[in-house]
Amino acid sequence: MPVVAADECSDGELITRSADGDRDAFEVLYRRYARPVFGLALRRLGDRGRAEDAVQETFASIWRAARSYKPERGPGAPWLYAVARNAITDRGRARAEPPTEAPEQASSEPGPAERVEASWTTWRVHRALEELSPNERTVIELAYWSGLSQSEIAEFLNIPLGTVKTRTRAALHRLSGLLEEELG
Amino acid sequence: MSDKPDFRELVGDDLTPEESERLRRVHDLLVAAGPPPELPPHLQEPIEPEKPRDTVSYLPRRRTGLLLGLAAAIALTAFLGGYISGQRHAAPFEEEFSLPMHSTVSTSNASAVIHVGKLDSAGNWPLKVDLKNLPALPKGQFYEMFLSRGADARAASCGTFRVAEGSDEVRLNAPYNLRRFNGWIVTRENPGSGKHPVVLTT
Repeated sequence: MPVVAADECSDGELITRSADGDRDAFEVLYRRYARPVFGLALRRLGDRGRAEDAVQETFASIWRAARSYKPERGPGAPWLYAVARNAITDRGRARAEPPTEAPEQASSEPGPAERVEASWTTWRVHRALEELSPNERTVIELAYWSGLSQSEIAEFLNIPLGTVKTRTRAALHRLSGLLEEELG
Repeated sequence: MSDKPDFRELVGDDLTPEESERLRRVHDLLVAAGPPPELPPHLQEPIEPEKPRDTVSYLPRRRTGLLLGLAAAIALTAFLGGYISGQRHAAPFEEEFSLPMHSTVSTSNASAVIHVGKLDSAGNWPLKVDLKNLPALPKGQFYEMFLSRGADARAASCGTFRVAEGSDEVRLNAPYNLRRFNGWIVTRENPGSGKHPVVLTT
């Protein structure tokens, strides 16, 4: 059976290979999921230092617990999400003080179910962004989170406006394929 | 940032209705998700799996130490107020602590280090900011540094500046209680545009 490069493996295959001590597979998992884990930890803990600790504990847990992953029970992403959530919860319990200021109007906050759903979707979106090429990811980041117009992005990156539009549309198409489940 | 991009501008108007609807939902997911955070430098590479505890971040502890140091500095400053005030203009920049900043765009190599000086008797934290690879801006535009608090990214301004190409150093000031904030950002300001894109963040 030919050996598949770790970069081309599914998340589940990478977890299985990590369970066998394959460090390359573990490294690819880390590159795919470090930012989504960090984002999830930041949102849950509200503290950058504790979130950084949670990222390291999450991946230590993944390495230790990879053998408990059963491919026949489902893909790797939900398993990774559960490991991350547990590690972040443990980190949250490690220090009892509230991580952020108490909300003034509790009633305006989403309920637990909505928060779980939003966390999972955000996790999936951030994970999908890691699959874009650097060029595509850059135009998406500038368009969505730096507040630049398409012409401003072209000026900022010193590339033609048409290239910005092509990359943006290609990136959105690619994301639509990666987020099939969320799009229903 | 809070500025929601215009979907039509992003994708054009030559899509089929089905395609447009599909990309619109991707667009909505991106807006709802917000930006993924940049990993700090010490998390750029995977941990050593067998020795996870050896590589646990030192930053939180260091920050705790810094806060204790700041409290001590504040007490010392109050005690020596008049003397320090009289000396500060002649003294060189005395760093209390420093914080790295990184680009909000993963492919940009812009970065900065904020050197926070000693609090003066009037309540000013002098800032010396070493900037790297921040592009020079067109005439009329400038950068602005803010302290952030929660969702309010631009909670308190620490001043504006422009840079030459390459590396630069600017002096700014934070006349605030730093404990009330949780980070710094640098925005690119273009008066009249109504937009404040973040280019650097701690």
